[in-house]
Amino acid sequence: MAGGQERVLRRRIKSVQSTRKITKAMELIAAAQIPRSLARIIANRPYRLGMQRIILEATLGDPAGAAKLLALPEKVDTALVLVITGDRGLSGPYNNATLRAGERLVVKLQREGTQVRLFCVGKKAAAYFRFRGLEVEESFVGFVDRPTFADVQLVASHLAAPYLDGEAQQILMVSMRYLSAGSQAVDVQQLLPLVIPELPVNDQSTKLKGYTEFEPEVEKLLYFLAPRALESEIYSALLEGAASFHTSQQRAMAAATDNADDLGQTLTRVMNRARQDSITTEIMEIVGGAEALRSGK
Amino acid sequence: MATLTVEIVSPEKALWAGEASALIARSSEGNFTILPQHTPTVGDIVSSIVRVETTEGEIAFAVHTGYFQVGPGSEDGETLATVLAGIAERTTEIDVARAQVAKEAAEAQLAGSSKGDQDDSVIYLIALAALERAELRLRAAGLQN
Repeated sequence: MAGGQERVLRRRIKSVQSTRKITKAMELIAAAQIPRSLARIIANRPYRLGMQRIILEATLGDPAGAAKLLALPEKVDTALVLVITGDRGLSGPYNNATLRAGERLVVKLQREGTQVRLFCVGKKAAAYFRFRGLEVEESFVGFVDRPTFADVQLVASHLAAPYLDGEAQQILMVSMRYLSAGSQAVDVQQLLPLVIPELPVNDQSTKLKGYTEFEPEVEKLLYFLAPRALESEIYSALLEGAASFHTSQQRAMAAATDNADDLGQTLTRVMNRARQDSITTEIMEIVGGAEALRSGK
Repeated sequence: MATLTVEIVSPEKALWAGEASALIARSSEGNFTILPQHTPTVGDIVSSIVRVETTEGEIAFAVHTGYFQVGPGSEDGETLATVLAGIAERTTEIDVARAQVAKEAAEAQLAGSSKGDQDDSVIYLIALAALERAELRLRAAGLQN
C-alpha cells in the first residue's frame, strides 16, 4: 500500500514543479514589461499635461463661456461608462478590483434613474458584465497590453459621438491608476463634460490668469478640444492600466511561485516520510519472516 | 535675453524640444508666427506644416490638427511654446511611399462613394481625412527635398 502513496505524491510534486515553472516565467515576463509600460507613461506626460494646461487656461480665461461646456446638467438621463481591464487574468486583484468598482458605479447610476450605456476595454470586462446580464454596447479587445494612440482614437470616437449628439450627458471612466510601484488604485473619473484639471499651484499656467489670448474664442476652442481631451485621458488611463496590470501580475506570479516552492517542499517531506515508512515496514516484514522461519526449525 | 523654447509633443512621445527663433504654423484663424516675448496665447492648429526656425536651420513637422499654448517659461525672459498634436511627424521621417499608397487608396474610395449617401457618409469622411493626411505628408516630404 505504501508504494502507491509514494507514487501519488511523486506525481503531485512533479505537477507543482511544472506549475512553478510557468508562474516563474510569467513573473519574469511581467517584470520585463513593467519598465517598458512605465516609459510609455512618461513619454505621454508632456502631452497630457499640456492638454490639461490648455483646459485650465481656457476656464480661467473665460469662466462664463467655459461654464456652459463644463456644467453637468441637473438630471443626467444617460451616462456612458467606460471600464478598462486587462485581456488576461492571473494578475492578482487588477481585473476584479476594477470590475467591482465598475459594477458599483453602474448600480449607483441606475438607482439614481440614469440610463447606463456600457463600454468595455479588455476581454475580462466584457465577459464579466455580460455574465451578469448587463448589456455591453461596445467592447474593445486586443490592445490593452500595449495601447497605441490609434486604438484610443477608435474607443474615443465611439464615446464622443453619442455625447456630441446629445444622446448622453456624461461620460465616466473606471480604470486602475498607477500611483507608484507599490500602489495602484481604482479611480472613477468624469471624462465629459470636461473637468477642470487640478494642477500644482506653482504650475506656470496659474500665473497667467487673465491676460491670455485665445484663438478661436474659449467656447469654440473648448468645444473642439473636448474630444481631444477625451482621447488624451483615455490614453493615459490605458497606459497606467497596462503598467498596473503588469505590476499586479508580476506580484501575483511571484506569490504563486513562492507558494509552489512551499507546497513542493511540504510534499517532498511527506513523500520522504512515506518512503521511509514503507522501507521500515518492509524490513520489519523481512525480519519478522526470518524470525518466524528460524523459530519454526 | 529673450529666448523661445519650442516643444512639439504627441501623445506617444515628445517629438522635439529646443531653442528656436520662431515657430510658424496655421490656426483656424490664419497663419501665425510665434517669436520670443509673444503674449500668452492658446489656440488650435489646423492640418498643416509647422515650421520651427532654429540656429541650425529650419525643422518642419506635418501636424494633423492640434493645439498650441504660448506662455512664460521657467527661466526669466524665456517664452515657452508647446504644440500638442494628436498625429505628427517630422518631415524627414515621413514614409513617402506609404503616403502615396494611402493617397491612392483614399482617392479610389472617394471615387467609389458619393457624398449624399447616408450610409456612406462616415466612410466618406474617413476617406477624406485619410486623403488629407496623405496629401499633407507628401507636401511636407516635398518641402524637405
